[in-house]
Amino acid sequence: MFEDILSATIRGATPLLLAALGEVISQRAGVLNIGIEGMMLIGAFFGMVGSFYAADLVMIAPWFGLLMAGLSGLIAAALFALCAIRLRGDQVIIGTAMTLLALGLTEVVYQRLFGITGIAQGVPAFQQLEIPLLSQIPFFGRALFSHNILVYIAFLLVPCVYFFLYHTQQGLRVRACGEHPRAIASAGANVFRLRTICLLFAGAMAGIAGGYLSLADVPYFTPGMTVGRGFIALAIVIFGKWHPVKACGAALLFGLGSALDARFQALGWDIPYQVFLMLPYVLCLAVLAGFVGRAEAPLALGRPYGQSNA
Amino acid sequence: MKLKEINILSLLSDTWGPRIATSVIILVSAFVTNAIIMLLCHYNPLEAYQAAVNGAFGNSRKFGETLVKSTPFLMAGLSVAMAFRCGIWNIGAEGQFLMGALTATWFGTKLAPFFPQSPWIAVPLCLGLATLAGGIWGLIPAVLKVARGVNEVISTIMLNYVALHLVSMMIDGGPLQETAQRGPQSDRIVEWMFLPRILPPHRVHLGIIIAVVLAIILTFILFRTAFGFQLRAVGEGAAAAEAAGISIVHNTLRVFFISGAIAGLGGAIELTALTRRLFLNFSPGYGYTAIAVALLAKLNPVVTVAAALLFGALTTGSYSMQREVGISDKVTLVMQATILLFVIGYSSVQLFHDIFSHKKCL
Repeated sequence: MFEDILSATIRGATPLLLAALGEVISQRAGVLNIGIEGMMLIGAFFGMVGSFYAADLVMIAPWFGLLMAGLSGLIAAALFALCAIRLRGDQVIIGTAMTLLALGLTEVVYQRLFGITGIAQGVPAFQQLEIPLLSQIPFFGRALFSHNILVYIAFLLVPCVYFFLYHTQQGLRVRACGEHPRAIASAGANVFRLRTICLLFAGAMAGIAGGYLSLADVPYFTPGMTVGRGFIALAIVIFGKWHPVKACGAALLFGLGSALDARFQALGWDIPYQVFLMLPYVLCLAVLAGFVGRAEAPLALGRPYGQSNA
Repeated sequence: MKLKEINILSLLSDTWGPRIATSVIILVSAFVTNAIIMLLCHYNPLEAYQAAVNGAFGNSRKFGETLVKSTPFLMAGLSVAMAFRCGIWNIGAEGQFLMGALTATWFGTKLAPFFPQSPWIAVPLCLGLATLAGGIWGLIPAVLKVARGVNEVISTIMLNYVALHLVSMMIDGGPLQETAQRGPQSDRIVEWMFLPRILPPHRVHLGIIIAVVLAIILTFILFRTAFGFQLRAVGEGAAAAEAAGISIVHNTLRVFFISGAIAGLGGAIELTALTRRLFLNFSPGYGYTAIAVALLAKLNPVVTVAAALLFGALTTGSYSMQREVGISDKVTLVMQATILLFVIGYSSVQLFHDIFSHKKCL
């Protein structure tokens, strides 16, 4: 039971973590990307499509799908960047448009390609990868070290993002971009370019997170399959106080919530399962309100940067 | 074309002519973009649009359905327009809509038997309670904002999901689930709580009239009263308004309450007039679409009526597009998204300002 829950927690946390890591970077650079849900959905769809058309090469197909997922997320983010950074449009409206666009477009194209048979199109997916020796550790070995490769990649990315943000010059610039873009601009950095790159990274990560859903979690795509995970990732970034390691903790906590939600009845608890579904959002609100430790958002978050307010 | 600092409100300064022209050009661009997307998917856009027009306006029954579908867009759109106009980024119409519907369900299934069986008492009471519930749900982000400095964009998004799961908690295993316990839905509300349908064979109901009258009242309040002037002043320049003695805190609370109340009423109207019971997916994202409705209408309540009608027509039109051309009815979401993106595009490039502004052209 314990092993089972631990394993499900990690599997549930992975897509949230992948998307949240990208969002941490983009928010630290000052771009509030609330279109993350849409970018995940686009990634999930094109991940499945990529794997479907490469299905003859069973070994490569999921990787090709993942590449497509990341690329499609990146392209969606490029559209976001065009509107939010070049045209300096309102990021909230663009984010909403992005999510609506993804919900509509994926379903229209899915129906065109695969019809409305009601049967989801199965594709080659990532297989479980047991790490030798480590997965033999009694008690938690199998739960921790018997997952598909994306799970390992996601958790290995956490220290990478942390190192980048806090121990490199570029990371410092990214953070400055979100706090005081004018200062970093006068120090010679290009705020537009930095923000665009961060946003593209966030888009690619959201796309890969979507790819995880349709290539590893289940081997198919269903319209609207992200069911709010993008917004949970947004909550994670805030609950994790815009810090990659804390965000990882938050992702695991919410992963645990979803793992329990499926099993609480077996545990004999008399709590409505919706409580677990609500938890990420309520905790996020509590953090924002300062009830669970104060979180300081990047100062320039959500504010377009341009000549007039530079 | 010179880039200016972008403010959605900058669009509002235009006079009527350019304002209508902007909306028309945004719409045409969106329709053309969608036609290109359809072509890329090997659908015939002309056939599709013809089917859509026919499905939305073909005969009186179809037009009635279009009116029915427009109502939730109008109510949610009014809620968003009020908030945005007054400088409040309320993305929470979705949650407020649901809380209104939830309250109406609670009243209509559990409390109504305790009241006299007269629609003259039950219906206004039910709508009033739902309005209040929506307003109170809207006050949560308002209080968080004024007391703890919480950004309302994030808090309203989060509250939407809390409301969504709250509805699910109530009707899926909760106290409001139907007595038969078959599925995740509530019982039907009592008959004397139905909001009357005004043209019996059609589903056209009284809620449409309520919504249109509300749009007129809101326009009057916003543009013809001191109270409305205060609300708008804060939206257009908080610092200046505060210097003039307008309380930002009071205004934030008021706007959020009004905006939430309108959305809550919208949820109750949809429930008591149309579905008559609550179920999962009761709102297919009305609160989010409302953002497109309100922005297309340039945040003017009366113009919102026209924008909502267009979105209602897109919805009924998409059903016949699905039937006759085979394109997924979710194509309306693509349409909504492209409209939003073009609103952004045009407001930032200020194309219209350059073309129509007398100062620059003449």
